[in-house]
Amino acid sequence: MSDFSKALDVSSSGLRAQANRLRHLSENISNADTPGYRRKLVSFQTAFSLGDAPAEVKTGRVHLDQSELEKVYDPAHPLADDTGQYDGSNVNLLIELADAKEAQRSYEANLKMFEQTRKMSSGLLDLLRR
Amino acid sequence: MDIKAISAAQKYSAAIPAVTPDENASAFMKDIALDFADTLARGEHTAKDSMIGDADPHALVQALAQTELVVETAVAVRNKVVEAYQEILRMPV
Repeated sequence: MSDFSKALDVSSSGLRAQANRLRHLSENISNADTPGYRRKLVSFQTAFSLGDAPAEVKTGRVHLDQSELEKVYDPAHPLADDTGQYDGSNVNLLIELADAKEAQRSYEANLKMFEQTRKMSSGLLDLLRR
Repeated sequence: MDIKAISAAQKYSAAIPAVTPDENASAFMKDIALDFADTLARGEHTAKDSMIGDADPHALVQALAQTELVVETAVAVRNKVVEAYQEILRMPV
């Protein structure tokens, strides 16, 4: 396998990892109003590779954010305790949106690398056509 | 005149190994062709999978980019070979 195809492999592993991250972010956002929901945290890690194999990235295990859940005051809610409060989720929309923006930027960076690799390889092949 | 004929014969016998087909080269070309067919088949397989909804789009894009690269290389090499062949055909005998 040439270095070009390895570069393509690595770039697409980055794309896949960012897409996975975005998926967990959207889970967090859609569950922002779910009582007792803890936001999911995605970590990245290098996939195990031997020797000359390219160091691809992948998403590791999903962790749950253990920070305190938001207390919501609503005595009419079926989950409300004696004080009229129940546990909401600990999702902060602002953080999730900022994270989504970061995922988008990283995705674009990987796309750019993909494009760059293709451009370079077709430039090399253009040499043969002359 | 005699000496010239001898040196021409020597040059000819020296040039023979350069134009005899190499056994290793054909095995090498066979490997390349097999690799080419393999990449093409993988691309088609991934395309089929993603139409059914099995593969993720990243795999599809990656496989198709790989296939494009391989096909372009094969076409470029073929053009070069045909060009060389035509060059030989045009040679005044």
